[in-house]
Order: sequence, then C-alpha cells, then structure tokens
Amino acid sequence: MTAQAIPHRGRASLWPVGGLAALAAVLLAAPIVVLVGRAVLGGALADTAAASVVLGALWLSLLTTAVSLVLTVAIGLPLAIVLARRTFRGSALLETVIDLPIVLPPSVAGLALLLLLGRRGLLGEPLSALGIEVPFTTLAVILAQTFVSAPFFIRSARTGIAAVDHDLEDAARVDGASERRVFSAITLPLASAALAAGLVMSWARSLGEFGATIMFAGNIEGRTQTLPLVVYGEFQGGNLDASIAAAAILVLAAFGVLVAVRLLHWGRVLDVRGAG
Amino acid sequence: VTSFAGNLLTVIVPSENRAAIASPKDLANRGMKVVAAGDSVPIAKYASQLVANLARMPGYPADFAARYAANVVSKEDNVAAVVSKIELGEGDAAIVYVTDARASTRVRTIDVPAEANVAATYGGVVVKASAHQSAAVQFLEWLAGTDGQAILATFGFTAPR
Repeated sequence: MTAQAIPHRGRASLWPVGGLAALAAVLLAAPIVVLVGRAVLGGALADTAAASVVLGALWLSLLTTAVSLVLTVAIGLPLAIVLARRTFRGSALLETVIDLPIVLPPSVAGLALLLLLGRRGLLGEPLSALGIEVPFTTLAVILAQTFVSAPFFIRSARTGIAAVDHDLEDAARVDGASERRVFSAITLPLASAALAAGLVMSWARSLGEFGATIMFAGNIEGRTQTLPLVVYGEFQGGNLDASIAAAAILVLAAFGVLVAVRLLHWGRVLDVRGAG
Repeated sequence: VTSFAGNLLTVIVPSENRAAIASPKDLANRGMKVVAAGDSVPIAKYASQLVANLARMPGYPADFAARYAANVVSKEDNVAAVVSKIELGEGDAAIVYVTDARASTRVRTIDVPAEANVAATYGGVVVKASAHQSAAVQFLEWLAGTDGQAILATFGFTAPR
C-alpha cells in the first residue's frame, strides 16, 4: 500500500493530538532527562559511580539479570509453545495465572516467594532440611527476578508462536521436515521478533526489580544488593549523590540495551528488504 | 528538647528458636542468620555499640563483632521489617528495641546483660513557627509527666535518662 492511498486529513484537525503528544513526550522524558542531567552535570556520576557499593551492585545486577533471562527462556519457551499450540481444559485459567505477576505489586510477589521458599515455607522447609536455604542468597535475587519477569516473555512468545501461519509449517511437513526441524527452521524464525521483544521486556523488568528482591532476598552488599536497592538504600541513608549515580547508571544501562536491540532489529529488517 | 522516653535493646529469636540461641553470645556462632537494620537506620548505630560492649565482656570472644557482622544476612530498611523476618523464621536472631520485641507475639527475647545494653533516648521539640506553641508545650509536658510516662511504660519504654 502506498502513502497516497491514505486520505490526508487537514493539519488543523490534528493539532490537539500533536500538542497532547508533545506534552506526553515531555512528561515521560523530563524526569529521566533531569535525573541523568543532574547525575552528569552535578558530578554525582563521576564522583560516586566508581564507589564499590555502586560498581558491586551494577555487576550483581548484570549477573543476576543475565542468569534470570536464561532461566526465563529455559522454562518460559516450552510453556509458551504449549500454550500457543494446545487448548486444553483450564488453559485459559493457566494463562491468566501466569500473567498475574505482571499486574501484582512486587511486594506481593516477594511475600508469596517467602511463604513458598522461605525457611519455614511450604517448599522451603523440606529444602532447608536438606541444607538448601534460598532466602538471603543471590539465587533468591535470580528467582525473584525470574518470577516477576518471565510472564512478559511467555506472553510475548505465546502470541508470536500462535501467530505463525500454519500453512507454512504444514508446507514444511509435506516436504518431509521433522517436527523439530519445522520448529527451528520455520516457527522460531517467524516468531523471532515477538521472542526478541519478550526478551527485552523481561530483562528490563528484571533489571528494575526491587520489591520482591528486598522482601525475599534481603539487602546485602555483593550478595543481594542490586542497583535498584542501592538507589533506595543510599537515598534512605542520606547519600543523595550515590543514589542519583546508581539511578543514572540504571537508566543508561537500560537505554543502552534498548538502543542495541533497536539497532539489531533495524539491521535485520534491512537484511530482509535487501534479500527481497 | 524535652526527653520523654528511653528504650533499651534486646535480642529476639523466632518463637521456635530452632537455632537454640540462649545468650547474645550465640549471635556470633558460625552459620547463624542474623537480620539487621541498614546502616542508615538509627538502631544500627545502637546495635553496633551493643555488639562492641558485648565483645568486651568476659566470656565473649575477642572477634565477637567481626563474627556477628559476618552472620548478618540482610540489612532491612526499618526495624519492623527486621522483626517480620524473625517472625517468619527466615532469620535466627536480631537486635531490636525492647518495645519492638514486646509488640510481637511471635518472637522470643533473649536477655542482654544490663551492663552492656545501650539506651536510646527520645526527645520532643516545639516548632518555632508553630501556630500552636502553647498546646505543643502542654503536650510535651503531659508526655513527660506521670500520665504520659504510664502509657509509654505499657509499651516497654523506659523513663528518659
């Protein structure tokens, strides 16, 4: 479809939309710009970014979010495939339950994890008898992140896989491809944009995870204190500069990843066009 | 400043006390899970003073403070969160105010030697810009007087010192 096919509306009728759009853009961007601006211009970033508490938390955040992303794909992809392909009794209920962590406050997630995996928790008690205690460990940070962020990936992957044209998959089957081959050569590539979007959303949610972490994993430097916990902890402690620096690093890290994903995606789109 | 109340520190453990803590000395035992408050929370300062005092007591190891610090598994952002973690049994023990310990029915207290204990004092002031100066003064007087003290004592607060 070419641009001429869309009837042009007069500029005048659009001006309130443009104005409101500008207002919304400013409203959403201004707090972040002010934060990063203050961190850079005020010297907070230069002065305290190298502080061990901030660097240690940055490293811990990158490590835990990477592991929880791997975990999310490992357990989330099979679930997304099942949900996309099969409708069974209770599948709608299951989808709803899996979506719950998206809407629940993280503090609820933290409390729920404690009641399940805490030392006196339903699963935690027998685990504790075996000498495995999850709370207050880096593993608890990873589990909290996975719990709150995996639904973003599962949701996106489920929709993406379900949207793949069955005729294409059937065509491959007719040509003698095995189910595994159909999935890896047809379904996965066609759903890749949805999978990538899910991964980014999921990772971003993990990086920002705060409430479930502080409730379930606690707050100890080098072990469970991720960047969002530093932002809050240093603010509470009256170290505004360190808090701002940690916040700015969080913003820049998230921004960097989003930009990288866009560039990758853009590159792929160009490739496809070039090939076509 | 009108000092109107004081508070002492105590050690709390979950009511089951599975870690079998019998004395503050046990907080330094290997593998104990001690829940503490963040360094910016006032009690952290009192607690570290208490730990330093205990370390000088007979029968306490010389590296008591270091071993206590090594056992801290979390630094919560307020005392109530510390108490909750003990109530849930996630932590084996914590140092909190006597008043917090008394407010919870799901923790047991372990007595701290009186000579090592640290007293916190609470003071009240009248805001200069306040439009209700005389009422504020009256309130503080009431709080520091017999009636106020009787009410505070029911919560475990001591007289100011």
